[in-house]
Amino acid sequence: MTNAQSHLTEEERHAHAEGSLPAEQLPVIETHLLGCAECADDVARIRTLMTRIHDAPAPAAPPPLDELWPMIRTRIEASKVVPLSPNAIRLDGRRRARRIGSSIMMTAAVVIAAVVLGVRARSHRAASDAPNTEPTSLIAVADSAHAFEEQAQTLLNQLELQRSMLRPEAVVAIDHDLRVVDSAIAELKEAIAHDPNNPALRRLLASSYRQKVDVLKRVGNAG
Amino acid sequence: MSARVHGPTEVVATVSDVNSVDDVVRRAQNGDVEAFESLYRTHSAAMFALCRRMVGTDGEALDLVQDIFVRAWERLTTFRGQSSLATWLHRLGVNVVLEQLRSSKRDASRLIEGDDSNFGTRSPAGQIEARIDLNAALVQLSGGARTVFVLHDIEGYSHDEIAQMIGIAPGTARAQLWRARRALMRLLDL
Repeated sequence: MTNAQSHLTEEERHAHAEGSLPAEQLPVIETHLLGCAECADDVARIRTLMTRIHDAPAPAAPPPLDELWPMIRTRIEASKVVPLSPNAIRLDGRRRARRIGSSIMMTAAVVIAAVVLGVRARSHRAASDAPNTEPTSLIAVADSAHAFEEQAQTLLNQLELQRSMLRPEAVVAIDHDLRVVDSAIAELKEAIAHDPNNPALRRLLASSYRQKVDVLKRVGNAG
Repeated sequence: MSARVHGPTEVVATVSDVNSVDDVVRRAQNGDVEAFESLYRTHSAAMFALCRRMVGTDGEALDLVQDIFVRAWERLTTFRGQSSLATWLHRLGVNVVLEQLRSSKRDASRLIEGDDSNFGTRSPAGQIEARIDLNAALVQLSGGARTVFVLHDIEGYSHDEIAQMIGIAPGTARAQLWRARRALMRLLDL
């Protein structure tokens, strides 16, 4: 607004309606509004809109919102990777047990996801027989699982050498944890045998081997 | 009228509630999926409301809610408690939605250039619906205008914050907001 005769600018109208006008401009603007019905009406309309916005209810959540969680959980479990400590610190017994325990929980979750995927895969299998040619991504995932399997075997050999130096209760705990991981791997292998072209199952298998490697590395680092 | 505080309205919590929430967050940060599920139950409706307003459809909003909580799980260890979890989640949610809008061919140009060609042009049936429901009217705005409007007038972000988040000039954000308000005034018969 350059003088009292000019109408308010768009910026001035919105700023006045939302109460963000600089204090020094306020007297001039309000004087103009007192004498200009057009600008005053417009500012009032903007303010009405803002009141409507403020009072508007949030969009109601549709029923499927509760049903999203299983999908989110599956995505979380499938992407779970336990970061390895770069410093390979020695862990005391309780921390080691807690860490290994969380790995086992993750592996168990992977099994749950595998079962879900397996059921889904079985329902799809009747509809379409998968071709024998494996896509490149499947081969890559299988290679990845194989690499982790080899690494796990090497670490297991190292563990056998370390075994006599570990506390007996630690050995019992480690053996138990490895049995849980191996059980998960066995279930995934069985699911893959029924559905060899399911990339999600293969990724989960690779992930399980990685979890096993992770458990063994932690034992090695801590031992 | 004062701008809303960023993020969804939070229920006033007692000290013990706060401790309980802190404990749930801590457990989720340590990998407890059950704890994270309870955070999902608490915050998913607010995240849905944010997404629904920003993208305009239930289906897209539901997909984004999934993405937000998967991202939240991945980033939860970066939450240090300087803000409330609701505020942290809200900001993360806005970023996820903006990334989606940027990556979507449908909205990318609108988000950056502010294509407002559709302002106020809609079917008579849609006009009647919008007069009844502000959320329905929001759907009629172009992507860029809707984003700026929701972030400023509903979520309470400043023009500078919005400009930084979207990657436009603050002046452009202001202009988008004014045009969005004008379009809504027409759609709502104000």
